[in-house]
Amino acid sequence: MTAVLILQIALIVTSLLLILLVLLHRGRGGGLSSLFGGGMQSSLSGSSVVEKNLDRITLFVGSIWIICVVGLGLLVKVS
Amino acid sequence: MLSAFRSALATPDLRRKILFTLMIIAIYRVGATIPSPGVSYPNVKRCLENVDDQGVVQLLNLFSGGALLQLSVFALGIMPYITASIIIQLLTVVIPRFEQLKKEGQSGQGKLTQFTRYLTIALAILQATGIVAMADRGQLFGNCQDPIIPNSNIFTLIVIVVTMTAGTAIIMWFGELITERGIGNGMSLLMFINIAARIPAEGAAILDKGGVTFAVVCVFALLIIASVVFVEQGQRRIPVQYAKRMIGRRMYGGTSTYLPLKVNQAGVIPVIFASSLLYLPDLISRLVGADGAGWQNFIANYIVKQDSWVHISVYFLLIIFFTYFYITITFNVNERADEMKKFGGFIPGIRPGRPTSEYLQFVLSRITLPGSLYLGIIAVLPNFFLEVTDSGQNQNFPFGGTAVLIMVGVGLDTVKQIESQLMQRNYEGFLK
Repeated sequence: MTAVLILQIALIVTSLLLILLVLLHRGRGGGLSSLFGGGMQSSLSGSSVVEKNLDRITLFVGSIWIICVVGLGLLVKVS
Repeated sequence: MLSAFRSALATPDLRRKILFTLMIIAIYRVGATIPSPGVSYPNVKRCLENVDDQGVVQLLNLFSGGALLQLSVFALGIMPYITASIIIQLLTVVIPRFEQLKKEGQSGQGKLTQFTRYLTIALAILQATGIVAMADRGQLFGNCQDPIIPNSNIFTLIVIVVTMTAGTAIIMWFGELITERGIGNGMSLLMFINIAARIPAEGAAILDKGGVTFAVVCVFALLIIASVVFVEQGQRRIPVQYAKRMIGRRMYGGTSTYLPLKVNQAGVIPVIFASSLLYLPDLISRLVGADGAGWQNFIANYIVKQDSWVHISVYFLLIIFFTYFYITITFNVNERADEMKKFGGFIPGIRPGRPTSEYLQFVLSRITLPGSLYLGIIAVLPNFFLEVTDSGQNQNFPFGGTAVLIMVGVGLDTVKQIESQLMQRNYEGFLK
């Protein structure tokens, strides 16, 4: 049971971190105006160093998050 | 067609983009099948088998690629992002500050996008709470006795809500990654994938009813797709003549081009707007809880039921309204006229400036009428066949209406982007 609790807390922490990290990214979705045609995206802006590092950290936290989710699922199944 | 595919894969730049997009999509689909922690997967599966008519939830389920009713980590899909975009887009009309930001150009747009992202997270929390509450109370699957969340203390529920919210954030990130480094618009592509993922399952369900029904549905689907492509490609070309100018020793301009006005300038956005608006009353009524009040009966009988005339006509009218609304927001006639004037262009027979913008407005509003009618009819079409295919549960969703509109729209858009990329390649050696 403690393992489940630890994983749950880890999951909450990584989830909050993930949300924060994704929000830190510069939005490039372009909103609705570019959804479904129309709207030209300017491809001028190359990804900066900050963005690259942010990508890397997000990926890292994301994998921990997935491990937590899968681990919790397995634990619940075993018990 | 096939040669285009080969050359697309032969171009290293394009190949990398396509493979990147496919990779993200694969990760996304895998994630959509992972159940949230605390949700009993066997129970959910048992409930899914005898799920009855879910009305509007079915549509949401379609948009999330079946992930919603499985309560997976990506259960919410991109719906929160779309709702947030709609709200921000509507607010640009109401709040002057947003309108200012929109006019500011790149930096203002960036700020608006950032607002959209914050709002997405807020909406995700809201929707996740709603869905988890519904699942916990056993309302998600109508009359299913198995507990979906076995040991539901408040902590487990919070974990699920937080996980789903994080899942939504990840989807948002995926969409942006595809837009930036992949092919096509990430958000719409993810939506496309969600709907496409449902096709095999729904097709099998129809096949179970008999080969003849299946064949008829297939023929109908092909007809609808063909007609949608036909209308999507339709456009009116307004001729624009550019005056000749001497800059230094070189002559510029003097060309005659055209300004294309599509019959369906708004794409599928009106349909998405309308369907997500229609979903709201159902959601509210479910959240309040079923105590059989009069208004709740009204909602259940007329708005949720897809074959009731109230639902059909409200949906239809909403689509027409949103088509006009969205076009006035996105296609600014005055701006177009000003731009044309600035670069020495004019429409033959019409003065530059205000008369031009008036003319554009006239043509646009006239061409939008058939466009909006077409959108409404295509979206409403399957609702009429509910009686024919009986058992309201099977609405053949991937084969009619909204789903086809979205799939064809996104497909055409993506193909166009790939094509333009190819074009760039071929012309590069040419010009240098």
